[in-house]
Amino acid sequence: MIQPATSLYPIEKNKLSVVAVGGGKISEHHLHTMKNLGFINVVGVSDLSPSLARFTAERFNVPGWFTDYRAMLEKCEADVVHVLTPPATHDRIVRDCLTSGRHVIVEKPVSLSHSGFQELWDYAAARNLRLIENHNYRFNDPVRQLEQIVDSWRIGTVAEVDVRMVLNIRGGGRYADENLPHPSHRLPAGIIHEFISHLAYLLLHFMPHDDFRDIGPVQAAWRNHGGGTLFTYDDLDALVMAGAVHGRIRFSCRQWPDCFEVVVRGSDGVARAELFHPTCQLTTRRPVGQHLTPLVNALAGARTIASSGFGSIWRKIRNRTAYEGLSRFLELTYEALRTGGEPPVSFRQMDETSRLVDALLAEENRI
Amino acid sequence: MRLLITGAGGFLGRYVVAEAVAHGHRVRALLRPAARTFPPAWEGNPRVQVVCGDLRDAKGVAALLEGVDGVIHLAASKSGDLYEQFGGTVIATENLLSAMVDAALSRIVVTSSFSVYEYLALPQWSVLDESTSLAADPLVRDEYCQTKLVQERIVLECADAHDWRCVVLRPGVIYGRDNLWTARLGMQVNDRWWIRTGASAPLPLTYVENCAEAIVLATEYEGPQRRLVLNVVDNETPTQREYLNALRNQVTPRPRIVPVAWGVMRVLARLAWLTNWVCFKGTAKVPGLFVPSRLHARCKPLRYTNQKIVSLLGWQPRYSWQEGIQRSLSPLDAADFPLADQAQPGAQALLVEQVQ
Repeated sequence: MIQPATSLYPIEKNKLSVVAVGGGKISEHHLHTMKNLGFINVVGVSDLSPSLARFTAERFNVPGWFTDYRAMLEKCEADVVHVLTPPATHDRIVRDCLTSGRHVIVEKPVSLSHSGFQELWDYAAARNLRLIENHNYRFNDPVRQLEQIVDSWRIGTVAEVDVRMVLNIRGGGRYADENLPHPSHRLPAGIIHEFISHLAYLLLHFMPHDDFRDIGPVQAAWRNHGGGTLFTYDDLDALVMAGAVHGRIRFSCRQWPDCFEVVVRGSDGVARAELFHPTCQLTTRRPVGQHLTPLVNALAGARTIASSGFGSIWRKIRNRTAYEGLSRFLELTYEALRTGGEPPVSFRQMDETSRLVDALLAEENRI
Repeated sequence: MRLLITGAGGFLGRYVVAEAVAHGHRVRALLRPAARTFPPAWEGNPRVQVVCGDLRDAKGVAALLEGVDGVIHLAASKSGDLYEQFGGTVIATENLLSAMVDAALSRIVVTSSFSVYEYLALPQWSVLDESTSLAADPLVRDEYCQTKLVQERIVLECADAHDWRCVVLRPGVIYGRDNLWTARLGMQVNDRWWIRTGASAPLPLTYVENCAEAIVLATEYEGPQRRLVLNVVDNETPTQREYLNALRNQVTPRPRIVPVAWGVMRVLARLAWLTNWVCFKGTAKVPGLFVPSRLHARCKPLRYTNQKIVSLLGWQPRYSWQEGIQRSLSPLDAADFPLADQAQPGAQALLVEQVQ
């Protein structure tokens, strides 16, 4: 076990000390969020690129930067490590961080397989440490509103959950770069592996079930409609059953406009949350009688769509992204770490997400 | 000299390859793996070796440097978010520098940009030269400014540490074929409508072929200073109005220009900035022209000088700005012509003639 040496960097009293492994785009969101949470003191950041590590440290006033995360774990006295590197590197880095005696907050997925996740979980539990996977989208406002609607029975008994993400990642940007293919193209689900955990945990969150054994059958159509050798898959259409409840996961690079929506249909209505243009729309029985209900629903829908349009412009001006849930997730996570309470993402949620991703990828479930 | 030219397939790179060959050098032209085409003149030319690779991947970089005497590093990323630009500009440079250290190479020319300078604090009509301060707050500028600053820093630090011959060239606005519009003119709404602000502001132009010659001369520099930072600007710096009028007359359909006075734009940007700070603590995202530091970087009336590069490298821009526009709009592209070299002194003159 690597024992943390006396810290080279100042430790502030009453603040949790944190280090981050990885200085890329997701790291920017984590560091920005932590900067705004007053009780966190980021003391180190590491990246394989010295320029990126230094740039990130300077940008967020982090006192230490490293190109070797092990050296950072040794030299910085930290309570928590954020692992923000590409998914294929998580197993090794998370294990090293746990070995050094730190709690770990890791970007999804914790591991590329359920067995890998289970091993790391057991390893953390044996050391009485926390291992927490980021499920940030569960904490976005529209999803929380959707939760309230479902929990308050305004749409009755849940019968169908549909999680859909449309992203034009073939059209350009890091995932479409043929010069240096993004490392995620080599993951089991190709580039969709970057997003599949989000789709899986949101589906499971809204599908009523007592145990993961209630989930099934699962059938998944993984396709590469756009062709070429860069993308392994660019489209997923999956059916996930849980007793009488139908669940569907859709991912596509071939539609317009981009969207990320969760639709829950129940015996008494439909609720729809959109995360890229944050809205939550409800169609339900209204207390105005059978004939006027469609009109009231239409008016409510029109109001939601109009406010979504203006809201999108406003959010653009305010520089707000779909990562808004990260702030709440981290706030609740650190609260749990400080008080010893339950973290906002439980073992069961991480475990089931990982199992569902495995099931979606299993050869026997492919169509 | 045997030169590795990175970014050789780009807008500037194609002309630098031609110029390097014209100066008698042998060139290894690095194209990105997905690049489908390069000038036909390179094919079969014994002085040009075309190789493909991506500098962001450290693995293949050492092989690119085998048998090379110096590097002209033009490769950079201008589009995408901060992290895409950081990868294409900074990490690519970091890998190149590391491989140069391993290969014991000690000569590099790097193209940076005028975007690294501080503009907001500069008085109007003052002279911008190599002694002008660097951007004080790059985070409120753009990703290009941020990544170019980091790139310059790591190049100069590495050159200092290993006592390399290193020239950092900061070209003003490089214009040429398919690159006649510049953000320093204001804002291009679409192909037809342009918003121009700062009509009397001189433009720090350098025509692409002139700039290519400056780059090759920098590679050949053997003077006493081992580390140099030089601005690249042609002799004439036409005003925005002059340049746009010349351009407008030669482009079809003829664009419509909406002039906005520099003073008015400054006040609007200042108001937007104040509103942003008062109402949103500076977190709001507004168009570039409404961010004072970006507006000043693009459109502030300043004077420019090429005294240092002219005196140190003996560079004399070959084409005037009007000739530059003319050559850019000519159906014949100089980069596509058979490569001239010192063995055929008449060839370059012939090439000039053909284009005009």
